[in-house]
Amino acid sequence: MQLSSAILAAENEPVDPQLAKRTVEQLSRVGIDFITYLPETRLSDILPVLDNHEAIQLVPVASEAEAVTIASGAALVGKRAACYMEGTGLFVCSYNLLTVAIRVGVPLLLLVSYVGSFADQRNSFRFAPTGIRTEAQLKALGIEYQVIDRAGDIEEKIRDATRMMHALKQPVALLFTGDYST
Amino acid sequence: MNRYDCLKALVPHIKDQLVVPSVSGQWVWGELCPRDGNLLLGSMGNALGVGLGMALGLPHRKVIVIESDGSVLLSLFNLPTLGNLNPPNLVVFVFDNEMYSGSRISRPSATAGKTDLAAMARDAGIASAITVRDLDAFRHEALRAINENGLSFIVAKVTESFEHRQAPRSDMDLTENKYRFIRYIEKTEGIGIFAGRG
Repeated sequence: MQLSSAILAAENEPVDPQLAKRTVEQLSRVGIDFITYLPETRLSDILPVLDNHEAIQLVPVASEAEAVTIASGAALVGKRAACYMEGTGLFVCSYNLLTVAIRVGVPLLLLVSYVGSFADQRNSFRFAPTGIRTEAQLKALGIEYQVIDRAGDIEEKIRDATRMMHALKQPVALLFTGDYST
Repeated sequence: MNRYDCLKALVPHIKDQLVVPSVSGQWVWGELCPRDGNLLLGSMGNALGVGLGMALGLPHRKVIVIESDGSVLLSLFNLPTLGNLNPPNLVVFVFDNEMYSGSRISRPSATAGKTDLAAMARDAGIASAITVRDLDAFRHEALRAINENGLSFIVAKVTESFEHRQAPRSDMDLTENKYRFIRYIEKTEGIGIFAGRG
Protein backbone atom coordinates (compact mmCIF):
# COMPACT_ATOMS: atom_id res chain seq x y z
CA MET A 1 0.00 0.00 0.00
CA GLN A 2 1.35 3.42 -0.90
CA LEU A 3 1.87 5.88 1.93
CA SER A 4 -0.93 8.17 0.67
CA SER A 5 -3.35 5.23 0.60
CA ALA A 6 -2.37 4.28 4.14
CA ILE A 7 -3.03 7.83 5.35
CA LEU A 8 -6.36 7.93 3.53
CA ALA A 9 -7.41 4.65 5.13
CA ALA A 10 -6.40 5.94 8.57
CA GLU A 11 -8.35 9.16 8.10
CA ASN A 12 -11.54 7.17 7.67
CA GLU A 13 -11.07 5.16 10.84
CA PRO A 14 -13.44 6.28 13.58
CA VAL A 15 -12.41 6.91 17.16
CA ASP A 16 -13.24 3.87 19.31
CA PRO A 17 -16.98 4.32 20.05
CA GLN A 18 -16.41 3.48 23.69
CA LEU A 19 -13.76 6.19 23.95
CA ALA A 20 -16.08 8.75 22.36
CA LYS A 21 -18.78 7.75 24.84
CA ARG A 22 -16.43 7.90 27.85
CA THR A 23 -15.21 11.34 26.78
CA VAL A 24 -18.72 12.76 26.56
CA GLU A 25 -19.79 11.10 29.81
CA GLN A 26 -16.85 12.61 31.64
CA LEU A 27 -17.50 16.07 30.18
CA SER A 28 -21.04 15.84 31.49
CA ARG A 29 -19.87 14.49 34.85
CA VAL A 30 -17.63 17.52 35.42
CA GLY A 31 -20.54 19.83 34.61
CA ILE A 32 -19.94 20.86 31.00
CA ASP A 33 -23.38 21.72 29.63
CA PHE A 34 -22.65 23.93 26.59
CA ILE A 35 -20.29 23.07 23.72
CA THR A 36 -19.60 25.07 20.57
CA TYR A 37 -17.91 23.18 17.77
CA LEU A 38 -16.56 22.94 14.27
CA PRO A 39 -16.19 19.28 13.19
CA GLU A 40 -12.78 17.91 12.23
CA THR A 41 -11.12 14.55 11.59
CA ARG A 42 -9.83 13.18 14.89
CA LEU A 43 -12.49 13.58 17.55
CA SER A 44 -15.66 14.02 15.53
CA ASP A 45 -17.12 10.71 16.73
CA ILE A 46 -17.98 12.49 19.96
CA LEU A 47 -20.53 14.58 18.01
CA PRO A 48 -23.25 11.91 17.55
CA VAL A 49 -22.87 11.09 21.24
CA LEU A 50 -23.21 14.78 22.11
CA ASP A 51 -26.23 15.09 19.80
CA ASN A 52 -28.03 12.54 21.94
CA HIS A 53 -26.94 13.94 25.30
CA GLU A 54 -29.83 15.73 26.95
CA ALA A 55 -27.76 17.72 29.45
CA ILE A 56 -25.36 19.26 26.93
CA GLN A 57 -26.36 22.07 24.58
CA LEU A 58 -24.42 21.56 21.35
CA VAL A 59 -23.94 24.66 19.20
CA PRO A 60 -22.62 24.38 15.63
CA VAL A 61 -20.60 27.38 14.48
CA ALA A 62 -18.99 28.63 11.28
CA SER A 63 -15.61 29.65 12.69
CA GLU A 64 -13.49 28.80 15.72
CA ALA A 65 -13.47 32.55 16.36
CA GLU A 66 -17.16 32.52 17.21
CA ALA A 67 -16.82 29.15 18.95
CA VAL A 68 -14.87 31.15 21.54
CA THR A 69 -17.08 34.26 21.67
CA ILE A 70 -20.36 32.32 21.83
CA ALA A 71 -19.06 29.96 24.51
CA SER A 72 -17.72 32.96 26.46
CA GLY A 73 -21.11 34.65 26.41
CA ALA A 74 -22.80 31.47 27.60
CA ALA A 75 -20.23 31.01 30.39
CA LEU A 76 -20.81 34.57 31.61
CA VAL A 77 -24.49 33.83 32.17
CA GLY A 78 -23.97 30.54 33.99
CA LYS A 79 -23.18 27.79 31.51
CA ARG A 80 -20.15 25.52 31.97
CA ALA A 81 -18.79 25.93 28.48
CA ALA A 82 -16.38 24.14 26.18
CA CYS A 83 -15.20 24.69 22.60
CA TYR A 84 -14.33 21.72 20.41
CA MET A 85 -12.05 22.40 17.44
CA GLU A 86 -9.12 21.18 15.39
CA GLY A 87 -5.65 22.38 16.36
CA THR A 88 -5.56 24.60 13.28
CA GLY A 89 -8.64 26.37 14.69
CA LEU A 90 -6.63 27.43 17.70
CA PHE A 91 -4.75 29.80 15.40
CA VAL A 92 -8.02 31.08 13.90
CA CYS A 93 -9.46 31.98 17.30
CA SER A 94 -6.33 33.30 19.03
CA TYR A 95 -7.55 36.90 18.67
CA ASN A 96 -10.89 36.06 20.26
CA LEU A 97 -9.28 34.06 23.04
CA LEU A 98 -7.03 37.02 23.80
CA THR A 99 -9.55 39.86 23.49
CA VAL A 100 -12.50 38.12 25.17
CA ALA A 101 -11.84 34.92 27.12
CA ILE A 102 -8.42 35.85 28.50
CA ARG A 103 -8.99 39.58 28.89
CA VAL A 104 -12.36 39.21 30.60
CA GLY A 105 -11.32 36.03 32.44
CA VAL A 106 -13.78 33.38 31.29
CA PRO A 107 -13.52 29.72 32.31
CA LEU A 108 -13.61 27.74 29.04
CA LEU A 109 -12.54 24.20 28.33
CA LEU A 110 -10.85 24.03 24.91
CA LEU A 111 -11.13 20.52 23.44
CA VAL A 112 -8.50 20.62 20.72
CA SER A 113 -7.55 17.77 18.38
CA TYR A 114 -3.79 17.88 18.38
CA VAL A 115 -3.26 17.39 14.65
CA GLY A 116 0.33 17.26 13.49
CA SER A 117 1.74 16.29 16.87
CA PHE A 118 4.31 13.52 17.40
CA ALA A 119 1.64 11.10 18.66
CA ASP A 120 -0.84 11.97 15.89
CA GLN A 121 -1.24 8.64 14.09
CA ARG A 122 -2.56 10.42 11.00
CA ASN A 123 0.18 13.02 10.84
CA SER A 124 1.15 14.26 7.40
CA PHE A 125 2.65 17.28 5.70
CA ARG A 126 -0.85 18.81 5.94
CA PHE A 127 -0.80 18.88 9.72
CA ALA A 128 2.79 18.82 10.98
CA PRO A 129 3.53 22.54 10.37
CA THR A 130 0.54 23.40 12.59
CA GLY A 131 1.19 20.70 15.14
CA ILE A 132 4.76 21.70 15.93
CA ARG A 133 3.59 25.23 16.72
CA THR A 134 0.45 24.43 18.70
CA GLU A 135 1.95 24.25 22.17
CA ALA A 136 4.07 27.34 21.48
CA GLN A 137 0.90 29.19 20.53
CA LEU A 138 -0.84 28.18 23.75
CA LYS A 139 2.22 29.27 25.74
CA ALA A 140 2.26 32.62 23.93
CA LEU A 141 -1.40 33.10 24.87
CA GLY A 142 -0.69 32.07 28.46
CA ILE A 143 -3.21 29.23 28.28
CA GLU A 144 -2.56 26.24 30.53
CA TYR A 145 -2.90 22.88 28.76
CA GLN A 146 -2.55 19.13 29.06
CA VAL A 147 -1.90 16.58 26.31
CA ILE A 148 -4.08 13.45 26.28
CA ASP A 149 -2.51 10.67 24.24
CA ARG A 150 -3.65 7.61 26.20
CA ALA A 151 -7.30 6.62 26.43
CA GLY A 152 -6.80 5.48 30.02
CA ASP A 153 -6.12 9.08 31.11
CA ILE A 154 -9.27 10.68 29.79
CA GLU A 155 -11.39 10.87 32.94
CA GLU A 156 -8.56 12.20 35.09
CA LYS A 157 -7.36 14.76 32.54
CA ILE A 158 -10.84 16.19 31.90
CA ARG A 159 -11.50 16.39 35.64
CA ASP A 160 -8.17 18.11 36.33
CA ALA A 161 -8.52 20.57 33.44
CA THR A 162 -12.02 21.56 34.50
CA ARG A 163 -10.88 22.14 38.07
CA MET A 164 -8.02 24.30 36.75
CA MET A 165 -10.26 26.41 34.50
CA HIS A 166 -12.59 27.18 37.39
CA ALA A 167 -9.65 27.94 39.69
CA LEU A 168 -8.03 30.30 37.17
CA LYS A 169 -11.25 31.63 35.61
CA GLN A 170 -9.44 31.37 32.32
CA PRO A 171 -9.50 29.10 29.27
CA VAL A 172 -7.67 25.79 29.72
CA ALA A 173 -6.89 23.46 26.81
CA LEU A 174 -6.85 19.69 26.39
CA LEU A 175 -4.89 18.51 23.34
CA PHE A 176 -6.16 15.15 22.08
CA THR A 177 -3.75 12.89 20.16
CA GLY A 178 -2.36 9.33 20.29
CA ASP A 179 -5.27 6.98 20.98
CA TYR A 180 -7.65 9.66 19.69
CA SER A 181 -5.96 9.68 16.29
CA THR A 182 -5.73 5.98 15.43
CA MET B 1 -29.44 60.45 12.67
CA ASN B 2 -26.34 59.67 14.69
CA ARG B 3 -25.50 56.85 17.07
CA TYR B 4 -25.58 59.01 20.19
CA ASP B 5 -29.20 60.05 19.62
CA CYS B 6 -30.22 56.47 18.87
CA LEU B 7 -28.56 55.16 22.05
CA LYS B 8 -30.15 57.95 24.06
CA ALA B 9 -33.56 56.89 22.69
CA LEU B 10 -32.91 53.32 23.87
CA VAL B 11 -32.12 54.21 27.48
CA PRO B 12 -35.72 54.62 28.80
CA HIS B 13 -36.52 51.11 27.56
CA ILE B 14 -33.69 49.38 29.40
CA LYS B 15 -34.91 47.40 32.40
CA ASP B 16 -33.42 43.97 33.04
CA GLN B 17 -31.99 43.31 29.57
CA LEU B 18 -28.35 42.33 29.21
CA VAL B 19 -26.47 44.78 26.98
CA VAL B 20 -23.18 44.09 25.15
CA PRO B 21 -21.68 47.03 23.25
CA SER B 22 -18.91 46.63 20.73
CA VAL B 23 -15.89 48.86 20.17
CA SER B 24 -16.27 52.62 20.80
CA GLY B 25 -19.97 52.09 21.58
CA GLN B 26 -18.95 50.92 25.05
CA TRP B 27 -17.80 54.39 26.15
CA VAL B 28 -20.97 56.13 25.01
CA TRP B 29 -23.31 53.42 26.32
CA GLY B 30 -21.44 53.22 29.61
CA GLU B 31 -21.90 56.96 30.04
CA LEU B 32 -25.55 57.10 28.91
CA CYS B 33 -26.76 54.03 30.77
CA PRO B 34 -24.44 52.94 33.59
CA ARG B 35 -25.65 49.66 35.12
CA ASP B 36 -24.37 46.23 36.12
CA GLY B 37 -26.32 44.51 33.34
CA ASN B 38 -23.86 45.91 30.77
CA LEU B 39 -20.80 44.00 29.62
CA LEU B 40 -18.74 46.81 28.10
CA LEU B 41 -16.72 44.53 25.87
CA GLY B 42 -15.53 47.13 23.39
CA SER B 43 -13.48 45.00 21.04
CA MET B 44 -13.89 44.53 17.29
CA GLY B 45 -15.71 41.45 16.03
CA ASN B 46 -16.69 39.98 19.40
CA ALA B 47 -19.90 41.54 20.75
CA LEU B 48 -22.28 39.71 18.43
CA GLY B 49 -20.85 36.31 19.32
CA VAL B 50 -20.78 37.04 23.05
CA GLY B 51 -24.36 38.35 22.97
CA LEU B 52 -25.48 35.28 21.01
CA GLY B 53 -23.90 33.03 23.63
CA MET B 54 -25.72 34.90 26.39
CA ALA B 55 -29.02 34.61 24.52
CA LEU B 56 -28.52 30.85 24.10
CA GLY B 57 -27.45 30.43 27.70
CA LEU B 58 -30.36 32.39 29.18
CA PRO B 59 -33.18 31.91 26.65
CA HIS B 60 -35.81 33.65 28.80
CA ARG B 61 -33.74 36.85 29.12
CA LYS B 62 -33.57 39.60 26.50
CA VAL B 63 -30.05 40.37 25.25
CA ILE B 64 -29.17 43.52 23.31
CA VAL B 65 -26.00 43.80 21.23
CA ILE B 66 -24.74 47.21 20.11
CA GLU B 67 -22.56 46.66 17.06
CA SER B 68 -20.90 48.71 14.32
CA ASP B 69 -20.34 48.14 10.60
CA GLY B 70 -16.59 47.60 10.97
CA SER B 71 -17.03 45.14 13.81
CA VAL B 72 -19.68 43.07 12.00
CA LEU B 73 -17.55 43.06 8.85
CA LEU B 74 -14.76 41.53 10.94
CA SER B 75 -17.02 38.68 12.10
CA LEU B 76 -19.29 37.93 9.15
CA PHE B 77 -19.29 34.24 10.11
CA ASN B 78 -21.70 35.26 12.89
CA LEU B 79 -24.47 35.95 10.38
CA PRO B 80 -25.20 32.38 9.18
CA THR B 81 -24.79 31.07 12.73
CA LEU B 82 -27.27 33.66 13.98
CA GLY B 83 -29.62 32.94 11.09
CA ASN B 84 -29.65 29.22 11.76
CA LEU B 85 -29.85 29.37 15.55
CA ASN B 86 -32.44 32.17 15.41
CA PRO B 87 -32.56 33.01 19.15
CA PRO B 88 -35.87 34.80 19.82
CA ASN B 89 -34.47 36.78 22.75
CA LEU B 90 -31.67 38.59 20.89
CA VAL B 91 -31.77 42.15 19.53
CA VAL B 92 -28.85 43.34 17.40
CA PHE B 93 -28.35 47.01 16.56
CA VAL B 94 -25.67 47.69 13.96
CA PHE B 95 -24.76 51.37 13.82
CA ASP B 96 -23.46 51.72 10.29
CA ASN B 97 -21.65 55.02 9.67
CA GLU B 98 -19.78 53.52 6.70
CA MET B 99 -16.51 54.44 8.39
CA TYR B 100 -13.78 53.05 10.57
CA SER B 101 -14.52 55.94 12.83
CA GLY B 102 -12.49 54.70 15.77
CA SER B 103 -9.39 54.90 13.61
CA ARG B 104 -8.85 58.65 14.18
CA ILE B 105 -8.58 59.36 10.46
CA SER B 106 -11.95 57.77 9.51
CA ARG B 107 -11.38 55.55 6.50
CA PRO B 108 -14.48 54.23 4.67
CA SER B 109 -15.71 50.69 5.39
CA ALA B 110 -17.14 48.30 2.79
CA THR B 111 -20.67 49.58 3.53
CA ALA B 112 -19.62 52.92 2.04
CA GLY B 113 -19.29 50.95 -1.20
CA LYS B 114 -21.53 48.18 -2.48
CA THR B 115 -22.03 46.18 0.70
CA ASP B 116 -25.45 46.05 2.36
CA LEU B 117 -25.28 44.45 5.82
CA ALA B 118 -29.04 43.95 6.22
CA ALA B 119 -29.22 42.20 2.84
CA MET B 120 -26.27 40.01 3.79
CA ALA B 121 -27.96 39.17 7.08
CA ARG B 122 -31.21 38.26 5.32
CA ASP B 123 -29.38 36.01 2.87
CA ALA B 124 -27.63 34.40 5.83
CA GLY B 125 -31.04 33.43 7.24
CA ILE B 126 -31.93 36.38 9.48
CA ALA B 127 -35.32 37.00 7.91
CA SER B 128 -36.14 40.02 10.08
CA ALA B 129 -33.03 42.03 9.18
CA ILE B 130 -33.90 45.59 8.19
CA THR B 131 -32.27 48.97 7.61
CA VAL B 132 -33.55 52.20 9.19
CA ARG B 133 -32.46 55.64 8.05
CA ASP B 134 -34.06 58.15 10.43
CA LEU B 135 -34.57 58.52 14.17
CA ASP B 136 -38.34 57.99 14.12
CA ALA B 137 -37.94 54.71 12.26
CA PHE B 138 -35.18 53.71 14.68
CA ARG B 139 -37.35 54.48 17.72
CA HIS B 140 -40.24 52.49 16.26
CA GLU B 141 -38.17 49.43 15.34
CA ALA B 142 -36.17 49.51 18.57
CA LEU B 143 -39.29 49.56 20.71
CA ARG B 144 -40.80 46.72 18.70
CA ALA B 145 -37.62 44.67 18.92
CA ILE B 146 -37.24 45.16 22.66
CA ASN B 147 -40.84 44.29 23.45
CA GLU B 148 -41.52 41.49 20.97
CA ASN B 149 -40.33 37.91 21.00
CA GLY B 150 -38.13 37.15 17.99
CA LEU B 151 -34.64 37.73 16.65
CA SER B 152 -34.16 41.34 15.51
CA PHE B 153 -31.29 42.64 13.41
CA ILE B 154 -31.56 46.37 12.82
CA VAL B 155 -28.98 48.20 10.74
CA ALA B 156 -29.18 51.91 11.56
CA LYS B 157 -27.57 54.08 8.90
CA VAL B 158 -26.00 56.91 10.89
CA THR B 159 -23.85 59.90 10.11
CA GLU B 160 -20.33 59.79 11.40
CA SER B 161 -20.08 61.39 14.83
CA PHE B 162 -17.21 61.77 17.22
CA GLU B 163 -18.95 61.58 20.59
CA HIS B 164 -16.99 58.42 21.43
CA ARG B 165 -13.77 60.41 21.19
CA GLN B 166 -15.04 62.82 23.85
CA ALA B 167 -16.90 60.31 26.07
CA PRO B 168 -15.23 59.85 29.45
CA ARG B 169 -13.19 56.66 29.76
CA SER B 170 -14.28 54.46 32.62
CA ASP B 171 -11.68 53.33 35.14
CA MET B 172 -13.51 50.00 35.39
CA ASP B 173 -11.59 47.30 33.53
CA LEU B 174 -13.22 44.21 32.09
CA THR B 175 -12.37 42.07 35.10
CA GLU B 176 -14.32 44.37 37.43
CA ASN B 177 -17.06 44.71 34.82
CA LYS B 178 -17.27 40.90 34.60
CA TYR B 179 -17.73 40.45 38.35
CA ARG B 180 -20.39 43.16 38.51
CA PHE B 181 -22.16 41.62 35.53
CA ILE B 182 -21.99 38.10 36.93
CA ARG B 183 -23.19 39.15 40.40
CA TYR B 184 -26.07 40.95 38.67
CA ILE B 185 -27.00 37.76 36.80
CA GLU B 186 -26.64 35.68 39.96
CA LYS B 187 -28.92 38.04 41.86
CA THR B 188 -31.56 38.46 39.18
CA GLU B 189 -31.60 34.81 38.09
CA GLY B 190 -31.07 33.26 41.51
CA ILE B 191 -28.14 31.13 40.27
CA GLY B 192 -24.46 30.65 41.11
CA ILE B 193 -22.10 31.16 38.19
CA PHE B 194 -18.51 30.82 39.31
CA ALA B 195 -17.76 27.43 40.80
CA GLY B 196 -14.96 26.76 43.27
CA ARG B 197 -14.01 27.63 46.80
CA GLY B 198 -11.65 30.10 48.36
